[in-house]
Formats: sequence, C-alpha cells, structure tokens
Amino acid sequence: MDHYSSHGDQVSPDLENGDIVNCKVGFNINNNEGCVKGKTPQNLSSSILRKKSDPMLEYSSTVRFQMLWHFLTNLQEVILGTKLAVLFPAIPLAIAADYYKFGRPWIFALSLLGLTPLAERVSFLTEQIAYFTGPTVGGLLNATCGNATEMIIALFALYQNKIHVLKYSLLGSILSNLLLVLGTSLLCGGLANLKREQRYDRKQADVNSLLLLLGLLCHMLPLMFRYATGEGTATASSTLQLSRVSSIVMLIAYVAYIFFQLKTHRQIFDAPEEEDDDEEEKAVIGFWSAFTWLAGMTVIIALLSEYVVGTIEAASDSWGISVSFISIILLPIVGNAAEHAGSIIFAFKNKLDISLGVSLGSASQISMFVIPLCVIVAWTMNIRMDLDFSLLETGSLAFTIIITAFTLQDGTSHYMKGLLLFLCYIVIAACFFVHKIPQSKSNLGRQTIHRAIFSIAALHAGLDPRKECSADQFMFICEAFK
Amino acid sequence: MPRTKKINRSRSVLTDPEGAESLDRSCHSKTRDSPRNPKKLQAEPKSKKPRVAVLTAHQHPNRELYFPDPFNNTKKKSRRTHSTSGFTSYNSAIPLVLLQTQQLMASLQEPWLLENGNLKGASKEIRHGRTAHNMSSSSLRKKSDLTLVSKVRCGMLRHLLTNLQEVILGTKLTVLFPAIPLAIAAECYGFGRPWVFGLSLLGLTPLAERVSFLTEQIAYYTGPTVGGLLNATCGNATELIIAIFALWQHKIEVVKYSLLGSILSNLLLVLGTSLFCGGIANLGKEQKYDRRQADVNALLLLLALLCHMLPLLFRISAASVSLTEVPTLQLSRVSSIIMLLAYITYIIFQLVTHRQLFEAQEESEEHGDDLSEETPVIGFWSGIVWLVGMTAVIALLSEFVVGTIEDASESWGLSVSFISIILLPIVGNAAEHAGAVIFAFKNKLDISLGVALGSATQISMFVVPLCVIVAWILGIEMDLNFNLLETGALALSIITTAFTLQDGTSHYLKGLTLLLCYVVIGACFFLSKTPSSHGNAIDLGVKSAAGVIGA
Repeated sequence: MDHYSSHGDQVSPDLENGDIVNCKVGFNINNNEGCVKGKTPQNLSSSILRKKSDPMLEYSSTVRFQMLWHFLTNLQEVILGTKLAVLFPAIPLAIAADYYKFGRPWIFALSLLGLTPLAERVSFLTEQIAYFTGPTVGGLLNATCGNATEMIIALFALYQNKIHVLKYSLLGSILSNLLLVLGTSLLCGGLANLKREQRYDRKQADVNSLLLLLGLLCHMLPLMFRYATGEGTATASSTLQLSRVSSIVMLIAYVAYIFFQLKTHRQIFDAPEEEDDDEEEKAVIGFWSAFTWLAGMTVIIALLSEYVVGTIEAASDSWGISVSFISIILLPIVGNAAEHAGSIIFAFKNKLDISLGVSLGSASQISMFVIPLCVIVAWTMNIRMDLDFSLLETGSLAFTIIITAFTLQDGTSHYMKGLLLFLCYIVIAACFFVHKIPQSKSNLGRQTIHRAIFSIAALHAGLDPRKECSADQFMFICEAFK
Repeated sequence: MPRTKKINRSRSVLTDPEGAESLDRSCHSKTRDSPRNPKKLQAEPKSKKPRVAVLTAHQHPNRELYFPDPFNNTKKKSRRTHSTSGFTSYNSAIPLVLLQTQQLMASLQEPWLLENGNLKGASKEIRHGRTAHNMSSSSLRKKSDLTLVSKVRCGMLRHLLTNLQEVILGTKLTVLFPAIPLAIAAECYGFGRPWVFGLSLLGLTPLAERVSFLTEQIAYYTGPTVGGLLNATCGNATELIIAIFALWQHKIEVVKYSLLGSILSNLLLVLGTSLFCGGIANLGKEQKYDRRQADVNALLLLLALLCHMLPLLFRISAASVSLTEVPTLQLSRVSSIIMLLAYITYIIFQLVTHRQLFEAQEESEEHGDDLSEETPVIGFWSGIVWLVGMTAVIALLSEFVVGTIEDASESWGLSVSFISIILLPIVGNAAEHAGAVIFAFKNKLDISLGVALGSATQISMFVVPLCVIVAWILGIEMDLNFNLLETGALALSIITTAFTLQDGTSHYLKGLTLLLCYVVIGACFFLSKTPSSHGNAIDLGVKSAAGVIGA
C-alpha cells in the first residue's frame, strides 16, 4: 500500500517544490510542471460537501501501529470525508433488509439512501486517482466515472431486461440535471446575489447545448420514424438499426467532446478560481488504496442498484406511485444529490461557471455517453433496445433542452431564470405523477397512438376496432376515413 | 433601489424643466463633492483610460457620457471589463437619459452615485408604475382642446364636461364610440346577429384603449407598486372579460381560441409590423433594444408552452381518451397554479427587484416639443367610476360578441376558429398595435417589445390559467390542451419570436418574417373549417394526427 501522501510531514513527489503550491494560477495547477489534473467542474462541485477530517488518532511513532494507523487514516478519509456520511448506515440496513426479507419498498428506499453518499465518494475517489495518473487519464476517468451510479443502475436494469426503467432513469437524470439542478442553482444564486451581476462564460454552455441537441435528434428520429411508417416488424428492425448507428455516432461525438474539453479548448472549461481560495489540493490517499476503494464501492453500488432495480415495481405498487414517476423523478434526485448540493453552493458564491459545468456536463455525459453505451451493451447482449423514448418523454426532453439553451443564451443570470427552470421541472414532474397509464414493458408507448387512431378510424369505417389488422389495412381504413 | 430612482429621474427631466435644473445642479455638485470618492471623480475627465461612449452622435454631437472604471487602480479582478460603473455628465443633465442601456450597465455595479437624496424629491410624483405596456396606447391620445368647455359657466358642470371630454374624446379611436350604442340598438331591435357582432367588435376597440388609459390615471394616485399591479392585471382586461363571458356560456373553444389568437397576434402581428415599420423607417440607423427584457418574456412564454404541450402529448400518447380525461384535467389545474405563481414572481421581478430591465426607454426629444406634462387629468374617484362603467360596457359588448359569434361565422362563411383566433385579437389589440408601431417608427423598439411581449406573456401566464381556475370554480372542465394545430402554431410562434430577439438588434426582414408567419398561420386557420365539437375539443387533435399518419 502506498501511503506516502497521508503523512503530514511527507509530500508527494510531484509536490516537492513547495513554492509551486503557492502559485495559484488555477485550482488544478499544483505540481511543478504546471501540469493540469483533469479536474472538471463536475467533481469540483462535490468537493464542497467534503469536510476536513479531524486527526482523531494520535500520531504514533512506533512501527508496530504504523500499519494500523495508516489503515485507520485511510478509512477515515474515505468514509468520513463527506457530510453525507450519515447516510452510510443505510447500506448495511438495506442489505440486512434484503437478507431478513423485509418489505420490498423498504429495501428500495434504503438502497436509494445508501446510493447517495456512494455517488459522492466515487467521484472523490476518481479525483484522487486522477492526482496520480496525470491530467489526460484523470480527465478521461472523470468523464467516464462521473455518472458511475447512473451507469451501473442502467446496466443492471438492462441486465434484468427492464428497458423502460433504464430509459426512464436516464431521461430523468438529464431532466433533473438540466432543470432541477440548474434551476435551483440559478434561483439560489440569483437570490443570494440580487444586487450583483451574475455572469458566466456562455461558450461552455453552448457546446453542451449543441451536444444535447444532437442527443435529442438521435432520440427524435426513431420516434418520428415509427410515427411516419406505422407499426410493424420492418419498422421495428429499422428503428433498431437506426438507434445503433445513432449510438455509435453519439459515442464518436462524445469522444470528440472529451478531446475538445481536455486538449484543444481546455480554457473554456476551466472554472475560474478566486485568489482567496487557497486550500491545499493534494491527494489524501494513495493510488492503490484509492483503486481498491473504488473497486469496492463499485461492487456495493452494483449491489444496491440491483436491489433498486429489482424492487422498483414493488415500491411503485406499495406507494401508489407510477414506475415512470419513481424512475424519472425520484431516482435522479437521489443520484444527483451530491452534485446538486455542490452546484447550489457554488451558485451562492456567484461562481456560476462551476454550477453550469456540473449540471450541463453531467447532462451531456448521460445523454451522449451513458445512453449510447447502454444501447451498445444491449446490442452485445442481444437485447433489442432502441433510442425511441415515447412521445411524452421525448417531448419533455426536447422542451427541456430548448428552454435550457435559451436560458443560457446571454451570459448573465437572474433568479427569474432559475425559478422558471425549476417550475418547468415541477410541471413535468406533475405530468409524470398523474401519468398512471400502464405502459408496455419494453419500448414503451409504442402502439398507443396507433391504437387510438385506429379505433376511431375503424369505428368510422364501420369495422371492429378490436380486431387486429395489418398496416395495409390500416392505411386503407385511414384513406376511407379521410 | 437607487436604480429605480435613477430611472425615474430620467422621467423628471422629461416632465418638468425644474427637475432637470435640479438634476443638473445635483450632478455638478456630485462631481465636486461626492463624499465617497472625490478624488476619483475629479480626476475623471483626465482619467487614464476613460471609456468614452459617444452616444448617438448624430443626434447629440456635443453630449458625451464618460464611463470611468473605478477599479482601475484597485487590485480587484478586472475580468469583467465591460462593467462600467460611474458616470458623470459634461454639458448638461439631459445626456443622462440618453442611452439607458449604458446607464443600466453602469448602475448595476455602482449605485452609489445615485444615493444623493436630492434626486428623490424630483422623481417621487413620477413613480406611478407605468410600464411599456400602456406607454404604447398613449401615442394614440390627443390633447383635448378645452376652449369650448371653459365657456360653460357653472363650475360643477364644467368639471363634468372636462372630465367627459378627457375620457371620451382623449383618443383618436373615439370615432368608433358610436358603434357601442349602435350595437346595443341592433341587439334591442333584433337586427341581424352578424351586425351585432360586427358593431360590438368595433365598439370594443376604443374601450380597450380607454381602460388602459384609466388604469394609468388611477396609477398616478396609488403609487408605483399598486399602479404596476393594476396595470399588470387590467392590461388585457378586454380579453379577460371576453374569455370569462365565453366561459360562462360554456364556449370553452372560443375561450381557448381567442386567448391563443391573442398570443399569436401579439407575438407575430404586433411585433412583426412594429419591427417591419421600424426597420423601413430607420433604414440607415441602427435599431437596438435591450434583449434581457425579451429574454425573460421568452422564457415565461416557453413555460406556458410547456404547460400547453404536456396535456396534448399526454392525450396523444395515451391509449384511450377516457383514461386520460381526469389526469389531463388535474395536470392542467396544477400547471395553471404554477403558471400563476410564475406570473406573480414575474410581477415582483418586474416591479421590485429588476425594475430597470423593464423601464421604457425615454429619450429626450431633439425638438423638445413633446415634453408633455405627466399629470393626472382626471380625479381618482372619477377614474374609478369611469373604470367600473367602462368595464360594464365591455362586459355587455363581450356578451354580444360571444353570443353572436356562431351566427356571424355562419353568415360570413368563416370558421369560428378563424374569427376567434384572427379577427377577435386584431380588434382587441388594435390600440396596442398602433402604439407599438408608432414607437417602432420612432426607433424606440424597447417600448414596442415591451408592449407586444408583455401583453403576450400576460395573456399566457395570467389570463389563461385564471380562466382554468375560474372554470374549476364554476365546475367547468377546461384544460390546457389546445389542439395539435393550435399548439404547434403557438410553439412555432414562441420559438420564432425568441430566435428573432436573440441579438439586440433588428432590421425590417425580421419583422417581415414574423408578419409572414402570421399570414401563413392565418391562412391555415382560414382553411381549416373542421366542424369543431364543444368542450375540450380533443377529437380534433387525434383526427389531425390520423390525417398526418394516413397521408
């Protein structure tokens, strides 16, 4: 185990020239080569939830306890390093509840609670590893693991063939990032800095908006494809092909975005740092230790995700809330809690660039990386998952992206903008709350409109609407109806 | 708070020359002995790099504003280099009001210059909460000639006549007043119902303008906040009354159509003609406006669009109509409450916290001839009485209009949807429309935008949800689900308008495009003669979707 950085009197090799530490050009320049650490605003945000852990253990110089001391310090840094640590007991409780066959809604709720601190800790560990790997690998790691929780939940949902939960939760995560996180940040920032001007760099927001619009196109085309050509197996297979091609295109776009963000246009994405913010930024745990922790945390997240995905229907039945509402609204609120809090705190300090980086970066990551990855993974598992969210969901997504892009058009902000985004989120949440229509399990809502139209048309044409008929007959009926 | 003082001071310059004098003095005294930062201010003209903004040089060649940067010598970050903070005037006080946008930029940072209390007194009586919205109709007003009245002997009678003349003859639309008794007579003597409809429509036009005039008069007495509230509420009183009468008669379709049409007409027709005329008239000049005001309105309209869109999508994507009836209604009511909440916040935003964004830009005229005195021309109680009376007349005419719309539709061969969406709003908005165009001619696009967007926002965020709530109270099931065609037109209008106003400039092509959009939408509704069902006309949406898919 590599513990050199946990000693107070030792410095890590790349911090040896102490005068460089005082050079606070940017928050992420803290070694002698001026080499940047690949720290994006996204995980800067959760750092606000961290607290300096007290050295509650006396320094023991005896060699015998060195090992134990190291271990305990490490444990303390990782477990107690966040204010969300109070939620950690939910994890053993969830496991116990599952073991002793408690009510399934209980397992669901406890797992959700337990996921909250884990999401924050994973981002912390990723950041720690980034200190050792250098900027590029670190940036890549951040970009990949930033939404690890969402990704793991999505993969488990995919594994259990609950494609609707997967689609809903990812959609909800985008909506929550764009409207809820951004809205509350702008609202709180606007109220706290009522008399000051709240500025941000709109170039970063523009790049993210464009990526989100590309994602929207990839979701919209299969939907329109289906509406345009009608129902049928041929349509389904072409929609699937289109979705897979779109997913590859989206992944390419995401890779280009990473390149853009980390290499060529780094200055757009670097959050500006105030001079007075002179905290020492160095790794608190070692590389292998962090790596081990990361693997362990991922396993726990996977376990809890499995619980969540497995018990979501039971929770929905027991609470009387639709699965769509739970997946779209509740899951993302819990999954994004750490980022959310961080984003608001930065908005309070009038550092809107970081808040924007958190919410928009997370949204574009999910939309351009997690979703296409799920489609590709489903492809390898021979699961027919396409990009066709149903009409209501795609409509909400389109509207969300457009209103967010509009909000961020001029480089200023005030509380009204935040409030409006927040209210939009409430309206969408209300919509999914009252939306208790039983959905078909996979590729949801596919036949609904056709069913409705067909019933009307068939009734007008004097046919029995309940009888199945082919697409040609359907067209004929429509023609006759016209 | 000091921001509003400053803005209002600009009014004082316009209204009374003494105010301008005091302003002048105050500015000079400030320059000399400002307690806060005297050294900097004195050194200002010779400051190292004062950003000199020569404002509208073709109009005021000798007047300049100086924007020194007080952060020049400090160690503070100068990343936001565009934030200019202090200003002083050279030759006279009048340049202070020249370009409000620069002023605003200045005042956002350092309001201390304006804290000297001597400006307060001059501006106090001017703060009556007058928004751009009712600035517009004032352009239609004319100074009534009081020579005739002054010959009447009895003082009481003279007062009454003056009052009457101010209220009745104070507008150029007064020629349409005779339509009101004619409409009533037509109703009484059982004329053709299309006649009643036409005459009532004509009669509503001047009444809409007069109500806004009276609201403004009352606002002189009630102070800025109450006045602003009153304006915000009564600005579209005609539309509101028509909508409530249509609701009362269970013509939900007419309610929805007329309100939708009002939004479309404000966004596309009023704004389009304003930008077009303004662009043609000021071809050589730059036409600028403050885009922040437009942004807020566009965002509110987008929220409204979401509230209309979700019930529609809900309805379309659901398996059967009967299953979604109740959820759609619930969703609409919740959305309405949220929209009203947003509107209240918008009022606070507009009147209290971000007042400077919405202040109508008033330039000092070169000729100085329209320095009209802004004093109330009628008394408070008289204003109230008139307002109540006018509202009663509007209610009567609205009842006629709503009651005869189907007959007129049949007799003229136009569909109800075309009459409600296109004709009703054109008449209802005539006064505002004319005002917005006139201000655009004068290259005061901020006011034109304030009128058009403010009115559209008010209808979509206040009148529509209010109608849903009122319907809820009356036990009528009105939801926010306009049909597919209507919602699509609304979405396109809002998005086009928002795009048009993205950069802070304008030219005639923008106006023309908006206008043509309106023509296309008008043609669409002219041709769509679908027999509409009563109530929440849901079948239309599904049918048109069927048509799309069938085609």
